[in-house]
Amino acid sequence: MYAFDYHRARSLEEALKLFATLDEATFLAGGHTLLPTMKNRLAAPENLIDISALPELSGIGMQGGVLRIGAAMTHHAVAASSLVAETIPALAALAGSIGDVQVRHVGTMGGSVANNDPAADYPAAVLSLGAEIETDRRRIPADDFFQGLYATALEEGELIVAIRFPVPETAGYGKYRNPASRYALAASFVSIRDGAVRVAVTGAGKNGVFRWEAAEQALMGHCSASRIADLRPESDALLSDMHADAAFRANLVNVVTRRAAEHLGGASIV
Amino acid sequence: MTRAKTSAVRKASDSAPDIAWRWDDAPPDMDYVREALFRHIGKPVARKEDKRLLTGKGRFTDDFNLPGQTYAAMVRSPHPHARILGIDASAALAAPGVLAVLTGVDVLADGLGPIPHNPLPKTNFDMKLSAPGGGAPFIGPHLLLPADKVRHVGEAVAVVVAESAAQAMDAAELVDVDYEELDFVIDALDAASGSCPSVVWDEVPDNVFVETHFGDREATDAAFARAAHVVEASFHIDRVTGVPMEPRAALAAFDAESGKYTLYAGSGGAVRQKNELAEVLGIEPKSLRVLSFDVGGNFGTRNRTYVEFGLTLWASRRVGRPVKYTATRSEAFLTDYQGRDLHTTVALAMDAEGRFLAMRADNLSNVGARCVSLSPLSKGSGLITGSYDIPAATLRSRAVFTNTMCTQAYRSSGRPEVTYAIERLVEIAAKQIGMDPIELRRRNMIAPDRMPYRNAVGQVYDSGTYETNMDQAMALFDWDGFAARREEATARGMLLGRGLANYVESSIGSPRERAEITVLPDGRIEVVIGTQPSGQGHETSFAQVVADMLGVPVETVTIIIGDTDVVSVGGGSHSGRSMRHAGTVMAMASSELLAEARRRAAEHFDVALDRIERDGDQYRVAGTNHTVGLFELAALPSGPLAVARTNEMHTPVFPNGTAICEVEIDPELCHVEITRYATIDDVGRCINPMIVHGQTHGGIAQGVGQAMWELCVTDPDSGQPLAGSFMDYGMPRADNLPSFDAEIAEVISPTNPLGIKAGGEGGTTPALATVTLAVLDALAPLGVTDIKMPLTPNTIWRAIGEARQQEKGVME
Ligand SMILES: Cc1cc2nc3c(=O)[nH]c(=O)nc-3n(C[C@H](O)[C@H](O)[C@H](O)COP(=O)(O)OP(=O)(O)OC[C@H]3O[C@@H](n4cnc5c(N)ncnc54)[C@H](O)[C@@H]3O)c2cc1C
Repeated sequence: MYAFDYHRARSLEEALKLFATLDEATFLAGGHTLLPTMKNRLAAPENLIDISALPELSGIGMQGGVLRIGAAMTHHAVAASSLVAETIPALAALAGSIGDVQVRHVGTMGGSVANNDPAADYPAAVLSLGAEIETDRRRIPADDFFQGLYATALEEGELIVAIRFPVPETAGYGKYRNPASRYALAASFVSIRDGAVRVAVTGAGKNGVFRWEAAEQALMGHCSASRIADLRPESDALLSDMHADAAFRANLVNVVTRRAAEHLGGASIV
Repeated sequence: MTRAKTSAVRKASDSAPDIAWRWDDAPPDMDYVREALFRHIGKPVARKEDKRLLTGKGRFTDDFNLPGQTYAAMVRSPHPHARILGIDASAALAAPGVLAVLTGVDVLADGLGPIPHNPLPKTNFDMKLSAPGGGAPFIGPHLLLPADKVRHVGEAVAVVVAESAAQAMDAAELVDVDYEELDFVIDALDAASGSCPSVVWDEVPDNVFVETHFGDREATDAAFARAAHVVEASFHIDRVTGVPMEPRAALAAFDAESGKYTLYAGSGGAVRQKNELAEVLGIEPKSLRVLSFDVGGNFGTRNRTYVEFGLTLWASRRVGRPVKYTATRSEAFLTDYQGRDLHTTVALAMDAEGRFLAMRADNLSNVGARCVSLSPLSKGSGLITGSYDIPAATLRSRAVFTNTMCTQAYRSSGRPEVTYAIERLVEIAAKQIGMDPIELRRRNMIAPDRMPYRNAVGQVYDSGTYETNMDQAMALFDWDGFAARREEATARGMLLGRGLANYVESSIGSPRERAEITVLPDGRIEVVIGTQPSGQGHETSFAQVVADMLGVPVETVTIIIGDTDVVSVGGGSHSGRSMRHAGTVMAMASSELLAEARRRAAEHFDVALDRIERDGDQYRVAGTNHTVGLFELAALPSGPLAVARTNEMHTPVFPNGTAICEVEIDPELCHVEITRYATIDDVGRCINPMIVHGQTHGGIAQGVGQAMWELCVTDPDSGQPLAGSFMDYGMPRADNLPSFDAEIAEVISPTNPLGIKAGGEGGTTPALATVTLAVLDALAPLGVTDIKMPLTPNTIWRAIGEARQQEKGVME
C-alpha cells in the first residue's frame, strides 16, 4: 500500500467539496474492493474520502412503487431488510449471498455498483430490474450505466447516492459460485415487470454484466425454464479463465438462468 | 470412538527383520512404561494452549518488535528464467528512509554460503536416492540472493532495508534490474524430455539430477511375462501450496559487542534453522539464537530455511539495527515452499484370479528451481505398493529442476501421490478383470500375520490390521446403504458416487531428539523438547506423557520449546515424528528421573534402594509411614532434580487406514458436494484422541482441498503463476465438508516404547484418491473413466463432454 491521507466526510456536500479540492482523491465506502487493490499496489490514491457514514447515502424506503436503497447500505442491511424481502425477495437473497458475513457487514451496494466487477452480484439485479442510479447530479438508467469491465457511466467525482429499483411483478436469482473466490462464476437475475421479461447475467460476460436478450424473448409471455432448455449465449462474448472456459460458462449461464426462472420470488444459490 | 486395542501379532519368520524396541538396552525404570496403567495417556485432555491462543496471547513472529528496528522488502523476479545483467539501486538508495539495498553481488562479496538444505532423507531406513549414474546429486546452491540468474518467478534478487515497511516496499519498486530473458520450463515431463531448451543449472544439462532404480528387475519382468492381466496408468499429482494462516516472518538482530545474532522466526524447528543459518553466515551455531514460539500453520512449508531469514540476519549486521520482514499473502503464494508435483506411471501384473504379482513404477518429482528436499520422492518411492502384498516391483525415481518455486515435503510428504496411484490402478484393474474392487483389494491386502512385512522395494511395515481397517471403515460409512442413497439421489437428478482408498504411510523423520526434565521445588515440572508445534497441541499431549511417567497431575507439567538458547537438540516437527520421538525420549528421560528420585529418597531416609516404593509422586520406605514427595526431593540440598537425555531412533513406523468418501454431483452445474466421509486411522498408541481427531479432520480437509480445489496454476505461455491470491486459489472450507465419521484404531507399534505411530497425516494421505474415485464412480454412468485433479466444475463438465463425444464416436 502506498501512503495516503484519510478524510471522513460528514455530509454529501462535504464529500463533494473534499473531492474537488484534494489531489488524486477517491471515495471510500466499505473498502472491501478498494483496500485490497491498494494493498496489492494496483491503486494509489493520495486521498481517501470516506463516504460510508453520509446520511444522504443511508436508508431503505419506498417512493411511489420504487424501492430506493441508499448507496452506503451494506449488503447485510439489504439482506436483512423486511421491506426488501417483501418487495423484491430475490434482491434480498442476492445480497445475502455476497461473500461472507464479514464482507456483508462492510461492503456497500453503491461500492459494488460503482466498481462494476464482472463477477459482482448487484449489477445483475440493477440491470435486470431496470433500476436507476441516482447520483449527486442526475439519474442514470441501468441500461446506460454499465459500460464494460469495471467501467460505468459515472463521471469524475460523481457519487452514487442511491439505487432506485422499480418493484417488479416477480424476480428470481440463480447463482453458481466460484469455488475459490465465491463471487459468481455465473449468475442470472430474471425479472418480470409490466409483462416484460428481463434477464441480466453476471460473472460470465467478457464485458461484464449483460442482458441476455435471446432468453428474454424466449421467456416472454411465459417465464418457464423449459423454454430456454437448449438456449446458450454465444461463447465468443463470454469470459474464459482458469476457473471456467467460455463453453462451460455458456452452459452455466443456461443453468443459472433456468434456475432463476424456476425460483421466481426467491433464489437458487449454489 | 476408540476401537479396542489390538496387539500386533508378530510372526518370527526368517525374513522378518528385527524392528522391535530393545527393552534390554533401555534405561532403568523404563519397564514402567510397559506396565503403566495410563492415567492421562489416552484421555481427551483439553488443550492447554487454547486459552492463550484464543485470547490473543499467542506469540507469533510478527508480534515481536525490537527497539530501533528497521524493515526489509524484497525485490522479486518477474521472470521465470532470466540472466541478471545488472542491478541499479541508486534510485532506491535515494528514496526516503532507505538504509541499504543488498544484492547477490554483495552476498558473494561478504562470503555468505548457500543454505545447506541437506535434501536427502538421512535415517538408515530411508530410500537412498542418488545422481544419475550414482553419487551425490547436485542440488543447486541456494544462495540468499542469486548473482547469475533468476530461476523462478518471485525469486528475491535484492533486499531493501528502510525505516518503515512502507518505505522499504516503495523503494523496492525503484530497484532497476536489467534482465535477459531465457527459455523457461514449468512441467517436469518437459524439463526431463532430453531436448528441453531451458537448462536450469548448467551443471545438469538435462535437468534430471536424481535417477535411482529400486527393486528386483528380473523377478518383476518374469512376473509381468507370466501375468494373466496387466494394467497401466499415468497420473500427475499436481502442485499445491500450504497456505498457513500466519505468513512467514523474521525479526533479526545483531549485537556487535558480543558478536551474537538473534532471530525470531516461526518455523518447524528452531534448531535446524539455527544450524543452517549459522553455516550460511559462516559463524558458530552458538553465536546464533533462534526463537520460534507460536506458529500459525506449517504443513511442511516452514520446515526448511528461507532466504529471507538469512537476509534479515545479514542485513541486521550490515545496517547495525534489527531488521524485520513479514511476507505478504501474495509473497506467500509465490514463494512459500510448495508441495507435491509428481508425475507417475504405474503398471500392475495380476494372475487369472486377480492376485497381484508385480508392479512397475516410474516417478518423476518436480523440485522446482533448486532441490530443497527429496523427502517427497523418497517417501513415495518406498510405498508404491501401498497396502498390498505385491511380491516383486521395480521403480525408477527421478527428480528434475524446473523454473518454478521449490517444492518441499508437504503434509504427508510423497504418500498421497503414491496412494493415489496405487488405489486408482487397483480400481482400473478391477474394472478390467471384472471383479468387485473391494474383493480385489481384500484378495491382496497384507495380512496381520505377515507383520513385520518387507515390501518389494524394501520398506518394513511394522504392524497393522489392514483388512480390519477396511471392514470397519465400510461399516462406519454404511457402505451397504449406498444403493438406497444412490436411488434417492438419482430421483433428485443427482449423481451419487463413493470412493474407497486404503493407505499405509511411513513416518520416519529426523532421527535425533532430546528431552530435559526438571522438577522444580515449587511443584512444577519443566520439559524442554526440540519439536515445534504449529497447532498440534504438543503442550498438552507431551505433558500427558510426562505426567503419567512421573505420576503427577498433567497441570504441573510445562513444555518448553522454540528457544535455541534453551533447546540444544531437536529434529523439529515433520513426517509425523513429534509424538513418537518426543514421547520416546521423554519416557526415557522420565525413567532416569524416577531412578534418580528413588536414589534420593533412599539417601534421604538412609535406607537401601530396594526398600523405596513409589506410589504416584510419593516415595515410601517399605513397611513404614516414611514418605517423601517428588517435589520435596527437588528441594533437598543435593541440588536440582533434573535429567537430560538424547535419543536417536531410526526405525520407521507405518500408520495405515482406510477412508471412504461419498459425493453428490449436480450434473448441470457440475458441482460436487461431499456428502459423507468415513475414516479409520491406525495411529498406534493414541495419547490424546481429541487432538488426534483434530489432526484427522484437518488432514482430510487438506487432502480434499487438493482433490477438489487447490492448484498452483501456471500460465504455460508466460511461466507466470496465476493463482496468486484467495480469489483464484481455492481452499477447503468448513461449509464444503460434511461432518466426518472418524475413528481411531490403536495397533500398538513394536518399534518404540509407547507404541506410537503417527496421527498428523493419515487424514490427508488417502483423501486425493477417495475423492477422485468417488467422483469417477458418480460419473461412471455417463461413461467417464478418467479425470484430473482438482475436480473443479469445469473439469467435470469437460470429462462428461469428452465421454459423450467418445460414446457418439463408438455409436457411429
Ligand atoms: C472476501 C470478499 C468476498 C467478496 N465476495 C463478493 C461476492 O460474492 N459478490 C460480490 O458482488 N462482491 C463480493 N465482494 C465485493 C464486496 O461486495 C465489495 O464490498 C463491493 O464490491 C464494493 O463495495 P465497497 O463498499 O466495499 O466499496 P469500496 O471498496 O469502498 O469502493 C469500491 C469502488 O467504488 C467506489 N465507490 C464506492 N462507493 C461509491 C459511491 N457511492 N459512489 C461512487 N463511487 C463509489 C470507490 O471509490 C471505489 O473505486 C467481496 C469482497 C471481499 C473482500
